[in-house]
Amino acid sequence: MLEIRDLVTAYGKIEALKGVSLDIARGSITCLLGPNGAGKTTLMMTIAGVLKPRRGTVKFQGEAIGGRTPDVIVARGIALVPENRLVFPSMTVLENLLAGGYQRRDDLSADIERLFGRFPRLKERSSQLAGTLSGGEQQMLAVARALMSRPKLLLMDEPSLGLAPLVVEEIFRTVAELHRDGTTIFLVEQNAHMALKVADHFYLMEQGRVSFSGNPGSLAEDEVIRRAYLGA
Amino acid sequence: MSDFLQNTLDGLAAGASYALLALGFTLIFGVLRRANLSYGPAIMFGAYAAAWTSLNFHVGLGVLFAVMLATTVLAGAYVERLAFAPHRAGSAVAAMVASFALWMQFEEVATLVLPRHLYAFPALYEGGPLPLGALTVRVEALVMIGVAIAICGAVWWLLYRTRFGAAVRAVIDNPIAAGLSGISVPAVSIRIFALASAIGAVAGFLIVTTQEQVTPMLGMWSTLKGLLAMMLGGLGSLPGAVIGGLALGLIEAHSQWYLGPQLRDFLAYFLLFVLLAVRAPWMNTRSAS
Repeated sequence: MLEIRDLVTAYGKIEALKGVSLDIARGSITCLLGPNGAGKTTLMMTIAGVLKPRRGTVKFQGEAIGGRTPDVIVARGIALVPENRLVFPSMTVLENLLAGGYQRRDDLSADIERLFGRFPRLKERSSQLAGTLSGGEQQMLAVARALMSRPKLLLMDEPSLGLAPLVVEEIFRTVAELHRDGTTIFLVEQNAHMALKVADHFYLMEQGRVSFSGNPGSLAEDEVIRRAYLGA
Repeated sequence: MSDFLQNTLDGLAAGASYALLALGFTLIFGVLRRANLSYGPAIMFGAYAAAWTSLNFHVGLGVLFAVMLATTVLAGAYVERLAFAPHRAGSAVAAMVASFALWMQFEEVATLVLPRHLYAFPALYEGGPLPLGALTVRVEALVMIGVAIAICGAVWWLLYRTRFGAAVRAVIDNPIAAGLSGISVPAVSIRIFALASAIGAVAGFLIVTTQEQVTPMLGMWSTLKGLLAMMLGGLGSLPGAVIGGLALGLIEAHSQWYLGPQLRDFLAYFLLFVLLAVRAPWMNTRSAS
């Protein structure tokens, strides 16, 4: 569904991605693991169009989308739940959701009701400013906002970062549910244990390159964790 | 007492025009996080286009307003394309310097077309001031206050009651997240420039038809008043811009009366200095991120 070949993204002279190639199969949950600074967030931001690749290709459903602007990428059916959530703090929960469905011309109320069913806390707080929510609630909101565009491929950048264990479990339950409903998911995760539990396939990234690719079980979990955190 | 009330009334009228200038400034600042120094000069350019039309054709105020509005909006869009669109992800200083260069461009072109220092502009209202108890009130002042209230209401409605307004507020909150939500930040940016320029054109038109003259100084004057009012109200807050504008008008009117015209401008700048120095709680004194 998503094919990335030899992708290079640089900040000035420093190449954060040094030729990344990977594939995301339709209907899969793919995880991206790796130590801090490996380029995971840079890869997500490049796919989503926030960063422009210097070289290489990104193909989504056969169409080259590398270098397109974020609004075009959303229109093609890819949504990113960014690192640190980035909700709109001075807008209400409901307004955040409406912003997530900005490109849609159809009635959004059914989708909002469905998401409120999935995240009851958001319904309770629908008229509250997003900046006043707890970290976990903001993460739920960021996921719900991304889903408002009805993405075919959902990118999630460290959705469990800084959240309490119970909230992390809730996030992963949501990921599994979304997957069951047919959404393809590409997940960056520090929590390798949780990630390997839900993933169909995973990639390890180290220093701007993909260093390993396989199915959970193809590499012992402690080995994955050692390489993901220590970069060894 | 009646002096005080009269000064307050005059100050509110001037403050209404400052509030509009600050509102336009703040819309641009909020969306781009960049100060557009060419905001006032674009208004001056529009006023010059209207003055040129008035000198060469016998047309009414309505046509002059249309010319000024269209020219100012085009000038604003020109500034966005040349000074701000290329630096969207880049340096804020580069964009500000580029907007300063365009300021010089507007002044040069305006003074080439109309080289005298001062040109007469048709009056908004020919009659004298109206009595209001012991006070007098100029019709122009009433129009200015009424128009300012109407525009503030319209901007509020646009921002809080429309899809486009929600997109604008999303960009103000976080441009990256707005893009990830499918909002085209460049499209929002150019429209906000056009809107802010239109608001500036309305304020500028009322100013030149009240003063019945245009000079090239209108550009710098508008930028300074708009910036000052925006900063007094707390950088980037729309209600703050309106309050800052009204406060600036009142401060000027009263300080002119009690301290004399020499100290009039000094007091406003001094107050801004003090507010920044003590980091007044409503002012956005955190470093921009």
